[in-house]
Amino acid sequence: MRKMKHVAACSLLLASAACAQYLVVAAEPRYAGQEKDRSQVSIAGGTAASPPQVVAADCGPGEQLAIVRVTRNFGEGLLAWLTLGLYAPATVHYRCATQPQPGGGEINTGGDA
Amino acid sequence: MPAPWPETANLKFAPSAKPWENWHKTVSQAFAGTYTPFYPPTNPDTNAQILIDCAKDIQVAIKAAKERKVRLRAVGSTWSLSSAPATEGVVLDTSRLKGWLKINEGNLDPGYKGGAEKRPGLFLFQCGTLVAEVNKLLESDKWQRSLWTSGAANGQTIVGATSTGTHGSVMDFGPLHDHIVAIHLLAGPDKQFLLERASYPVLKPAFAAAIGATPLRDDDLFNAAVMSFGSMGVIHAVVIETSPRFLLRAETHAPVAVDQDLRNLIATLDPEKHPKLKGKGALNFLQIVINPHSKDAMINAMYKLGWDPAHVLDYTLKEGKIGPGYDGLGIVGEVFKLFPGLIPSFFKLAQGTIDSKTKTLSRGEMFGYKAPQLKVGSGSVAVALTDALKTLDLLGALMDQHPAPLVFGCRFVKPSPALLAFTRFPTTMVVSLDGIYNDQSVAFFAKAAETLEQNNITYTQHWGKVNAYTKARLDKAYGANVGKWLDARKKLLPDPADRAVFTNAYMEERGLAG
Repeated sequence: MRKMKHVAACSLLLASAACAQYLVVAAEPRYAGQEKDRSQVSIAGGTAASPPQVVAADCGPGEQLAIVRVTRNFGEGLLAWLTLGLYAPATVHYRCATQPQPGGGEINTGGDA
Repeated sequence: MPAPWPETANLKFAPSAKPWENWHKTVSQAFAGTYTPFYPPTNPDTNAQILIDCAKDIQVAIKAAKERKVRLRAVGSTWSLSSAPATEGVVLDTSRLKGWLKINEGNLDPGYKGGAEKRPGLFLFQCGTLVAEVNKLLESDKWQRSLWTSGAANGQTIVGATSTGTHGSVMDFGPLHDHIVAIHLLAGPDKQFLLERASYPVLKPAFAAAIGATPLRDDDLFNAAVMSFGSMGVIHAVVIETSPRFLLRAETHAPVAVDQDLRNLIATLDPEKHPKLKGKGALNFLQIVINPHSKDAMINAMYKLGWDPAHVLDYTLKEGKIGPGYDGLGIVGEVFKLFPGLIPSFFKLAQGTIDSKTKTLSRGEMFGYKAPQLKVGSGSVAVALTDALKTLDLLGALMDQHPAPLVFGCRFVKPSPALLAFTRFPTTMVVSLDGIYNDQSVAFFAKAAETLEQNNITYTQHWGKVNAYTKARLDKAYGANVGKWLDARKKLLPDPADRAVFTNAYMEERGLAG
């Protein structure tokens, strides 16, 4: 049992060692909807990429991005290592940002209380 | 081929591409698709017509779900750690609805009982407005108001947070939903109410008419709907009362011994009982975090101050030097499953990172943006203050037997009139079981409830956190209020087909789907 635990721990460590994650978040984030995931491959150290850029076309009208993170899992890391970085896939995750809060208004219901 | 889901200029439908997840990725659910109502894209100032149009769009979505016999659930920021907002049907994503109105003196009903302090501080917020945005707007120099309380974070929407019972730990106020004095409720595809308490009228009927709603004053209906996690229809907007703007001076004391002084403080909430708080005046906020692994504690004490005109508001998230990564807790949780013996060392290490500097900030700054984290584990049990020490002793003993990567965050809340408010005791101590989400934590959440039950302690649990509610447990905890809540649901949604739309598995598991 103890040996199995150590094997499991080493496997976890090895898998983690190949993984990476980078996170950018707005200073006052206005997250909208569910997180979206897209794969992107960096080719020859970024000389080319497929797709050339991830376009957040599924955000709503006037919306920007609240958070972007780029992750590389064990399989993606292994591929990059085996190809000496010539083919380096990663996953881009993002959430749209809602539009800023609009200006407020009032309703005239007439008279004083 | 089934008919496409209807859309309008500002209502879009997207079939699901992958399972729905809550923000912290602890709940995952296959579902049919997402309806997203948008505020008008040019982002104009809010007016009555915009509220009417947004409500119409939502009712198009409700009608489409009803016709297709598909369930629909309104969600905000998906911040809940329970499956309260989850549905296998259609998710109504309210996050783009952020309009707001200032309630003016002319809108107020002659019977409004709010005094001179409250009358200038009433606002209507659409359901998708973030707590962060509410704080920023209220605390601005233009309005000079504050919320009395809030949760620890600010990423929830105002309706998402209030509908699940979010609370703070303020000595003289209840949970966040106790700010609400009127609810614009879309009860099915063709009915909408401006719901108020009969005992506390606020707005003239003309205000309800102006936004296309029927005024409805009834204490039980209001007290049911205000905390109903999406079960009574769609809460399109809420009107809240607010406090004049204030600052909070926060002191953190750590580590503090879990000794008789701390026990006296917990049992009485009298700051004079603890040497760290003695002579410092009345508390506005008190949180005691007990680390069951290191057997010591941290006290967060806050004192209310008048507003300082020189105070510069800054809500922005800050970068640190090093800290847990976005899903670092998930990885640590996996390690703890293999090596539970590491849990105490980890929490001792984490204790070294506590920032114990005294701070003076606005409420919105104090309970502001947090570094985004996945796999946050959070359950809770809530008990009467008279049962506080016994509860903590039992939980401590349970942790010794079944270690889990959690601490006990003790928060204290005044009672709420909401029928299913879990902060229902004369003073409620909420023990927030906070830490890392893994199998050990989930098992601990369940065992905590069982342990209190076995020791005949009446307890409730947070609706928006991992909970072990069953019908029998609800009946025991809430008594006749469960029946009143179900009756209110039938009155607001008399058509069984409407009730079916606003039902989910979370309700069914708890006997609330009638």
